[in-house]
Amino acid sequence: MTSVRIIARLDVKAPYLIKGVHLEGLRKLGDPQTFAEKYYNDGIDEIIYIDSVASLYERNTIVDIVRHTAENVFIPITAGGGVRSVDDARELLRVGADKIAICTAALKTPSLISEIASTLGSQCMVLSVQAKSRADGGWEAYCDQGREHTGRDVLEWVREAEQLGAGEILLTSIDQEGTYRGFDLDLLRAVSSRVSIPVIASGGMGSVDHAGAAISAGGATAVAVAGFLHYEKSSVPEIRDGLRDLGHQVRVA
Amino acid sequence: MTKISTPTRPDYSAFAPDTKLREVKYGLPAEIRFCKRCVISNQRPNSSIEFKNAPNEHKKTINLDDDGICDACRVADQKADVDWAAREEELVELCARHRRTDGAYDCIIPGSGGKDSFYATHILKYKYGMHPLTVTWAPHIYTDWGWRNFQRWIHSGFDNQLFTPNGRVHRILTRLAMDKLLHPFQAFILGQKNLAPKQSILHDTPLVFFGENEAEYGNPQSDTSSAMRSRDYFTLKNKSEASLGGVPVEQLVQDFGIEEYELNPYLPANPDDVERIGTEVHYLGYYLKWHPQSCYYYAQEHGGFEPSPERTPGTYSKYNSIDDRIDDLHYYTTFMKFGIGRATYDAAQEIRSGDIDRDDGIALVRRFDGEYPERFLDEIFEYLSIGEDEFPDAYPLFEQPQMTREYFDALCDQNRSPHIWNYENGAWSLRNAVWHND
Repeated sequence: MTSVRIIARLDVKAPYLIKGVHLEGLRKLGDPQTFAEKYYNDGIDEIIYIDSVASLYERNTIVDIVRHTAENVFIPITAGGGVRSVDDARELLRVGADKIAICTAALKTPSLISEIASTLGSQCMVLSVQAKSRADGGWEAYCDQGREHTGRDVLEWVREAEQLGAGEILLTSIDQEGTYRGFDLDLLRAVSSRVSIPVIASGGMGSVDHAGAAISAGGATAVAVAGFLHYEKSSVPEIRDGLRDLGHQVRVA
Repeated sequence: MTKISTPTRPDYSAFAPDTKLREVKYGLPAEIRFCKRCVISNQRPNSSIEFKNAPNEHKKTINLDDDGICDACRVADQKADVDWAAREEELVELCARHRRTDGAYDCIIPGSGGKDSFYATHILKYKYGMHPLTVTWAPHIYTDWGWRNFQRWIHSGFDNQLFTPNGRVHRILTRLAMDKLLHPFQAFILGQKNLAPKQSILHDTPLVFFGENEAEYGNPQSDTSSAMRSRDYFTLKNKSEASLGGVPVEQLVQDFGIEEYELNPYLPANPDDVERIGTEVHYLGYYLKWHPQSCYYYAQEHGGFEPSPERTPGTYSKYNSIDDRIDDLHYYTTFMKFGIGRATYDAAQEIRSGDIDRDDGIALVRRFDGEYPERFLDEIFEYLSIGEDEFPDAYPLFEQPQMTREYFDALCDQNRSPHIWNYENGAWSLRNAVWHND
């Protein structure tokens, strides 16, 4: 049994850590660096940085934040938001990121997934998926932080991305994001049963039980936590100990 | 009366890049300037008294001071200095004066169940102990999520009266407002502003709460010094002075086959009735520090409010003004007339509220402002088309009763002001945009 990973997700709108509800109404919370270092010191397993407006504003700002974080934080860092080319990805790896998350650009140019996977390795190619349930069933993949339809079916998209060489999936439910009502377990189950690469559950965590359900019922191998930590509704040790009490193997901090 | 003619494209030479003598429509300032703090331009008109709005009305516009800062940004500055604890005391006293414990309503609150009205009603009931009747003026055409939010609002604990105006009258007035004023939202605004004061009279409940003061968005700063809305906006002694859709009431009755009683919902209250009841329209935003984004959080947390499933065309946001399908068109027409689209309004507000920086705002305006409102367009054109069977009197008064894309585009072009717009190589562009000096 491999350890379940607890990942702090930090959405950034430089120079601020931000957080929304349903990816909307972005609220400034402070310096992302301070939050990242606190979570690191508390024993978080990984950190995800997403420049949440890079695609929206068509600009890139995540590089500096990753560079500064990597100086003091020695756990895997995933960085994303506005990555449009192999060069963008390489630059992030060069300043200290371990993995690259791509959403919008991959939907526009799916071949970018295979380019990054073949040049830099599948292990660093994380497909970020912003999923929203459809009235007629299933889920649609969105881009631009849940603002833009793409018409792509999530389940078809994740299979295609896996075939193209994606090494991991960051799966965000727009419906649950920022609500603290728990992950979208149907979505998680549907995706994790269709791909063999690891799936990170994101969007909706409001209790340790939610994380437990994402793993045991949803088939996720990791949980991304954002507002639940940022607003100090919980802490890294509490989540880690809670998951252990639920019978999951976690990394010993 | 003369027929309402089909719009034709304007003389493009007036819009050539090198024209020196540029016509200025609507009495707007000839020189276009942008606020140095937000992204609004000096072309932004103040709130109109809609029942007096006539074609080619000269607009009063937002003031930019000697430092190039707009009144709305100055109002935002002043909010930082307000003693909000003292203002809340005033609210508590106001509520105490009006609160009723005899089983009657003690205040009327108009709203849609959007984030702002959700916040206002919820906090007045659950924190300040009021017994509100909420009243709603229906949108032209509900969006699915707008309807669901409306239901959630009611189910979070409120009595509501939904007033839905006669669909045919509403359509003809909206069509006229398009042709005469390029203002598809006018019929909605009229009803919305007048409904609550009139319900106040009907229910003998003097206290009416609106949310934010329009001065937050650029009406004269002096408007914020009072908690109360001027009665000019919702009373009129002589109804024959009113125009709807740019057409005098008398003519609507005589020529368009609308009966007088059918126009009542759009007309303001009688000032004598307002005097008798003592109707007072207060801005809750005067008493409580208003932050639209916080209202969204509040409505989501307490009522399960949902944003729209995609950004609104012409902007980036998903959480404000999302319940009427015709809204997309409304902001497109402000872009045509004043060069100010929905992204400009949204970004300016969020900059003032401290949610985004000016650089962010400029990027968003550049990307989204003036985007063609494709989403619900076919449905809206059908809504705006005048069928012979439904409108036997009005039908012959239109040279082309059918609203089409060509008609709409020509109408838009006709309403562009040459001092705002360039036309070159078959394409329109702004002569001055906020990102030009970036």
